[in-house]
Order: sequence, then C-alpha cells, then structure tokens
Amino acid sequence: MSEKQTILIIEDDRAISNFISRALTASDYRAIPAFTGKEGLSLFFSHGPDLVLLDLGLPDLDGLDILSQLRDLPREVPIFIISARDRESEKVRALDMGADDYVVKPFGVSELLARIRSALRRAERMKLSQGIQRDVYQIKDLTIDLAKHQILLGGEEIHFTQNEFKIIELLAIHAGKVLTYDFILEHIWGPYGGTGSNQILRVNMANIRRKLKENPSEPKYIHTELGIGYRMLDD
Amino acid sequence: MKQQAREVYRWLDVQFHRIPHIPRNIGVMAVFLCGAYYASSILISHTGGENNSALVFVLAVALISLLTSGYFYGIAASIIGALCINVYFMEPYEVFSLSRTGYPVAMLSMVAISCVICALTARVKKQATEAVRREKKAKALYEQNEKLNAEKAAIQLQSERISIRESILRAVSHDLRTPLTAISGAASVLLSSPEVSPKNLAMLSDIKQDADSLIVMVENLLSVTRVQDGTMPLKKREEMLEEVAGDALLTTRRRFPDCHVELKLSEDILYLPMDPLLIKQVIVNLLENAIRHSGDKEHITLSLYRQEDWAVVEVRDRGRGLSPEVLQAIMAGRAIPLSGDATRGMGIGLSVCQNIIKAHGGFFTGENHWSGGAVFRFGLPAEGAST
Repeated sequence: MSEKQTILIIEDDRAISNFISRALTASDYRAIPAFTGKEGLSLFFSHGPDLVLLDLGLPDLDGLDILSQLRDLPREVPIFIISARDRESEKVRALDMGADDYVVKPFGVSELLARIRSALRRAERMKLSQGIQRDVYQIKDLTIDLAKHQILLGGEEIHFTQNEFKIIELLAIHAGKVLTYDFILEHIWGPYGGTGSNQILRVNMANIRRKLKENPSEPKYIHTELGIGYRMLDD
Repeated sequence: MKQQAREVYRWLDVQFHRIPHIPRNIGVMAVFLCGAYYASSILISHTGGENNSALVFVLAVALISLLTSGYFYGIAASIIGALCINVYFMEPYEVFSLSRTGYPVAMLSMVAISCVICALTARVKKQATEAVRREKKAKALYEQNEKLNAEKAAIQLQSERISIRESILRAVSHDLRTPLTAISGAASVLLSSPEVSPKNLAMLSDIKQDADSLIVMVENLLSVTRVQDGTMPLKKREEMLEEVAGDALLTTRRRFPDCHVELKLSEDILYLPMDPLLIKQVIVNLLENAIRHSGDKEHITLSLYRQEDWAVVEVRDRGRGLSPEVLQAIMAGRAIPLSGDATRGMGIGLSVCQNIIKAHGGFFTGENHWSGGAVFRFGLPAEGAST
C-alpha cells in the first residue's frame, strides 16, 4: 500500500490517546488525535480518515451525537466505540446507530489492532464489491453458499433449520461486524419477533454452535459479544 | 366539674345508644308522652285552663323527635298527643269529640307544627351525623396522606442513596480504570517496540502485569462493594451460561497467553437469569486462581453442567491443592485468609466469588480432588430454565 491509512482518535484522556497513537504508528498507520468532540469533527472533515475511534464519554459533546452526525454523511467510514465495561446499553445503542465495533476499557493493544485491521479490510472489500452481494462466503473451512442454500464444514454438508440458516446468512453478509440481538431478531423474526426476550435467538445460536462443533472459548466462526450480540469472524 | 359532667353525658349517651333501635325509640316516645300527660294534668289542676297542654305536648314531640331516629316516631307522637289532648284535657273530658268550635283547626295546626319540628330536627340530626362521618373520613384521608408522604420520603432517600453510590462507584471505576488502561497500554506498546533493551523489557513486562492485575483488583473491589450489603440490585437478565463462560475464558487467555484451559460444555442449553458481568468475574477469578496459585497452569478444566435444579460451573486444576486453612474457611463460609505475597489477590478474589454467588442465591464450594488438585464449584438456581 503506497499511502498510509489514517485513523482519527477522538478521546479526551491524553494517556490513552497517546498509547493508541503510538501503537497505531508502530503498526504503520497515521494517527490523528482529537481531544474534544468539536476538534474531532473538524479534524474528520479536514483529514478524511479511513477509520474513527470514538470515546463515548467526551467532555463537550455526547459521543452518540457525534456518531449520528458522522453516520449521516454519505461517506461510509468504520467507526469504533471506546466505552466503559458496565455500560452495555450505551454500546448496544451505538452499534444500532451504525457503529462498526467497540472496545471496552480496559482494552489491550493487540486486540484493538486486530479489530482495526479487520474493519479496514472489510471497508476495502465493500468499496471493491460496490455493494454487490456475493453468493458464497468462505470463513476458514466453513463454506456458506447462499444460492444453493447449503453450508459445508470441511467439505461436508451440515443441515440447519430455516432460522438457523438465516442467522448464519445474516452474520456472513455482515462478517466482521458486531450484530446486536435486536438487529438479528428484527431481520429474521420481523419487527415484533423478539419483543421483550431474545431467548429464541440465543437458543438457536446455541444449536448452531453445537452443529458447528464450535467452542465459545475458541471461536472459529462466530464470536459472542457478551450481552450485545454476535459477530462472524472474517479472518 | 365541667369535665365530670361531660363524661357523665358521654357515658349516658353511649349507654343510651346501646339499647336496640325499636325498643329505644318506642321507650323514648312512651316516656315523653307520659311526662307530657302528667305535666298537663298537674297544670290543668292548678290553672284550670286547657290551652297550656297543647304547648306541653308540642314540647314533648320536639324532644321525642330529637331523641328518636327518623320522622315516624315524632309524627306518631304528635298524633297521639293531639288525641290525648282531645280526650283528656278538653271538655267534654274522657270522650273523643270534634263538636267544639275551632277545635279541629287547633288540632290540625298542632299536628302540623309537630310535623315541621320533626322534619327540622331530623334534618339537623342527619346533618350532624353527616358532619361526623365527613370528619372521620377527612381524618382517615389525612392520616393516609401522612403515611404515604413518610413512605415516599423514605423511598426517595433510599433511591437517592443508591444513585449517589452508583455514581460514586461509576466515577471511581472510571477514574481508576482509565489510567490503568493507559499504563497497561503504554507498557504493551513499549514491549513490542524494537528500541527497548532486553533489561528494560523485563521491567516493562512487570509494569504491564501489575497494571493488569490492578485492573482485575479494581473490578473485584467494585463488584464486592456493589454486592456486599445487598442494597444495590443485581443487574440480572437471562443469559446463556456457555457464552459467559466462553467470554471469561477469552479474557483469561488474553492475560495469561501461556495457560491451557479446556472448556467442557454441557449438552443441555443452560439459559438462566444472572448478572452476567458478575458471573463472568467469578469465573475469571476462579481461573486466575488456578493459573496463579495451583502451580500447574497447563491442565485446567472449566466444565458446565446441569445438576438437578442447578446450573453448575466447575473449575478444576491438577496442582498442589488447597491448604487446610483455605479449605476450612471456604467450608465455614468465612473470609479466606490472606497470607503472604504468594497468594496475593487470592483471598479477595475468592471472597468476591462467594459474595457474588450468595447474592445470586447459589452455592459455592471448594475442595481437593481425590486424585490431586483443587476443585471449585458454584451453582446457580436454574429451576424452570429452558433447554
């Protein structure tokens, strides 16, 4: 890649911002720190970053407001939320508002870098495909063939129920992105499908996991975001 | 004196109202009519005129209607009184006669006056009882209002206290977590930088490890303040136990990349109410305990299974096992003794586990396996949980 990819860090804590910048620079990204929401917005427009890291607890603006402002723009930039551990509802809201991923304080550098890499790759792919949907998705030895309505694990077909297949299909189309319970429920069971409880989804997921012989502590295909949703791994 | 009179009056009033309705009213009527009859006979023998007797009877009727309930007795008394005057106190005596001029008019007007008095007294009485009833009702409402106000104030105080504590905890956790994240993050950036000499590398790795264990410690202390006195409700929701356990194991692996833990799932789907962050923390604590204190971090198993009405999580290591003091303390449900640097964090970790599980209404045990190593087990109530 000739040009370095730019990442905007909107985070008011200087120590955290510093080490993220250093880690990004060391991994060959260009890091732009912004310490307030307003600065972040203006830097966003002047630099046009490839990815944004956004802390939800900023001193001047509400992080969710910034998120919705950025999401209203025509240019689709991956946005990562940095949030505290115990604010699940906030994270879910941010994801439903269009954030791509989130990291929780305290987070590790390697985890953050891995997620950033995956999001940038996904954005690249989206740009190339121009929104054309693929028919076949390949995640490691798992092949999801939407046209043939078939899922192969290491060449061997696995039978899924209608809803299980739809869940896997949805996750594969959005591979790499965290999908919240509500998002999945609405897409598969309709707007009133999961009112009040996401048990139906969770149980389906547990069955999928058993059929894929997936161990939640060593996810190969589907990663569980505890209390938030699921994400299909894309690397 | 006045006081005594009032008491006597009240006593009489109570006794009077104890007599049943009909005998009381008839008795009152009889007593006053007889009184009027005798008073009239005495008057007539002294004055010789008959005009006074009508007034005496009207007075009797007024008193009767005051002391009886309803119109009926007053009207009956006025009719009886009119007849009585006609028969006994007017010429010709001892005979009912309407022959005297003007008499029917006098009779009728007496009955009419009595009726009006009856009606008036009845209305006054009704208003009086209504007033008493209203007063009682108002008093009851007032008392209820007072009670509600007191309750509201108590609830407000309680919820204020909880929200103050919540916000302090949140602030503390934010203010501790943020710098610790920065320390740990900065150390890990430096660790992977080529410019650091091997000598400094070891120190950096110590900084990172200590920052990481402080992060865990802060989480533990925060959870224990949250759970300990039971004033703060658990944030319970239905959760898939295997996902919580998987997440706990992922977190642990990130901190101890060279450990080896095997996760054994149950065939049953264990979906039950819990505070997932706290339960995750219990599992993380138990795993860390096994990794750091058992002396063997390669053969640890984390198993989930259902046992009757419990969803059980079991952490087993093949290390040196638990010391008798620790065993005893766990058995008695006491705080785990904190001893020395080697077990740093172990006591707090296990106490946190015990507290969290207790708050969930579950059980917590720790023992040595017959074939060596320690086994920690906790169960969460899962009756009725779906599969």
